Amino acid sequence: MKYAALFALLLVMFFAGCDDDDPVAGAVDFTIDFRADFGGDPLAISSETYNYPTGADLKVLLFQYYISDLELIPADGSGAVQLTDIDMIRWQSATENSVTSRTYEVPAGEYSGIRFGLGVSPDLNAREPSDFAADFVLNENEFWNANARYVFAKIEANADLETDGTFDTALTYHMGSDALYTTVTFDQDFTVDGEGDPALTIVADVLAAMSDGTDTFDISDPDQQRVHGGNQAVAQDIWNRLAAQFVLEVR
Amino acid sequence: MTRWALLLAGFLLFTASSCDPDPVVVCPECPAGETDREITGPNISTPYVLEVPDYMPAPILNPDNPLTVEGIELGRRLFYDPILSVDSTISCASCHRQELAFTDGRALAVGVEGRMVNRSAMSLVNLAFNPNGFNWDGSAIQLWEQAIHPVENMLEMDESWDNVLRKLRRHPDYPQRFRAAFGVDRTSEITREMAAKAMAQFERTIISADSHYDRVVYQNTEFFTEEEQLGADSLFFVEDVPAGVLHPGCGHCHNQPSFGNNRFSNNGIEDVESLEDFPDLGLGGVTGSRFDNGKFRAPTLRNIAVTAPYMHDGRFATLEEVLDSYAAGGHGVENEDPNITGFPLSAREKTALLAFLRSLTDETLLTDERYANPFE
Repeated sequence: MKYAALFALLLVMFFAGCDDDDPVAGAVDFTIDFRADFGGDPLAISSETYNYPTGADLKVLLFQYYISDLELIPADGSGAVQLTDIDMIRWQSATENSVTSRTYEVPAGEYSGIRFGLGVSPDLNAREPSDFAADFVLNENEFWNANARYVFAKIEANADLETDGTFDTALTYHMGSDALYTTVTFDQDFTVDGEGDPALTIVADVLAAMSDGTDTFDISDPDQQRVHGGNQAVAQDIWNRLAAQFVLEVR
Repeated sequence: MTRWALLLAGFLLFTASSCDPDPVVVCPECPAGETDREITGPNISTPYVLEVPDYMPAPILNPDNPLTVEGIELGRRLFYDPILSVDSTISCASCHRQELAFTDGRALAVGVEGRMVNRSAMSLVNLAFNPNGFNWDGSAIQLWEQAIHPVENMLEMDESWDNVLRKLRRHPDYPQRFRAAFGVDRTSEITREMAAKAMAQFERTIISADSHYDRVVYQNTEFFTEEEQLGADSLFFVEDVPAGVLHPGCGHCHNQPSFGNNRFSNNGIEDVESLEDFPDLGLGGVTGSRFDNGKFRAPTLRNIAVTAPYMHDGRFATLEEVLDSYAAGGHGVENEDPNITGFPLSAREKTALLAFLRSLTDETLLTDERYANPFE
């Protein structure tokens, strides 16, 4: 009888041990899209000429931002479900779609919102790139130096200020510091169950970061065409608008 | 009776063919018996741990091509062996000379029979930190895939891999080394992929991180000269630049500690009327997008003082010419990197920036026995 019990135990252990790739019980794949727009239209890097409110034409060559601690907020008030601690969302090529997607494994359940930190969270911002593998997102060569730390977001464009067909005014807005780190929260009820899950798209509009319709960043001012490291104050309102303009689309 | 005998024979044949190990696949182009032979000797490779200084990121390792002592040594030999070229006159090392930080000192690389390649030979240091897009135009996704093409390129080695494999399989030494690195039992099992992967393993070990700059900034064992300090703080790195000031900001694309950025840019050196007019399409030739035309990898500036001439086509003979070009700014081409703005550069500042750039030379790399020609 003792041997029969042992045999049964071995069988249980054998079958339990065979399949170690089982997903976490109740967890499902959940995709979040990130879309970049310019003035409400999907952003086209390099290929599209955009009209800027002050009359110039723009070719956008780069738009990127770090997100930290992307989390789903459970409806029952329990602890947030972290999807990633850090990621880089970037558009840099005419060959890229305006939508980039990330898929996470999340517990099925009811959620009341989603949030992320725009930029590199202070704890990670204190870490050196050499702490990570060369292909980690914090090794994307976005590290200024020991004092200024990581570049949280970049907008780069070539402007044709005279509308003569020559895009010869370079615009580079490189922003980042612990003081700029901003949490973006969307209140939105949704259910994740693996079947008919809502399609969530986090939208960022480059033009909305430059102009809110009332205030428009003056790109014709030579003092406002380059923001790197030490002159962050110049781009403070770009950052503020960038952080405030994120939209969550739910389908 | 005959029928039963045939049935029995058929049954025996069936069972025999079913039970035996699969026969070795002999490459069809290799004469039987001449190149397909059993290889003896050790067939277990030794894992190799690639160590880098703690101020460098953790290197990127390819799980499909793990580093081994035997693989690296095989790769080093292949790298230095002209057996890969059609007339056995040039090897990888002909264009990637250790004493020049694995460049060749020429504007354009030169292949067999003096054929001119259309691009400059890139330095091979610190490829272990490169996640993607090898070559000036990013055409090779993986390092070992890059190692395949120079052999076949008619302007470089102009050899077929079939011939290379014949030579390797007949060689008195290489088969044993392939067995030690990849566990092959017969010469016919040696493949192009193994040869390329071995070379990639060797290349991945070439780490450059012991320059004067490293000893000043990371190791704290040396000091910058006044000139070097001026070049670093005031001109190379982009920090505390007053609003509106035009500044070289080399560090935008040549970010420490790699001093490169694994991206592709039009760095403003080509004055073209339209995006279709670039003499070398660069990344655009790979992606097919006209907006990527004229974009090339921003290479590492480590050892830049010994890797002249400069740019993808070697158009600048000296670093002074490079600085003059960047100081002059771009040409207003719509896909130019917006960080190319032009800037004033006094003679003193130029001297300082050059001094800083020279601080990036890793002298130990240039003579490190681990990377040297094993046949000398």
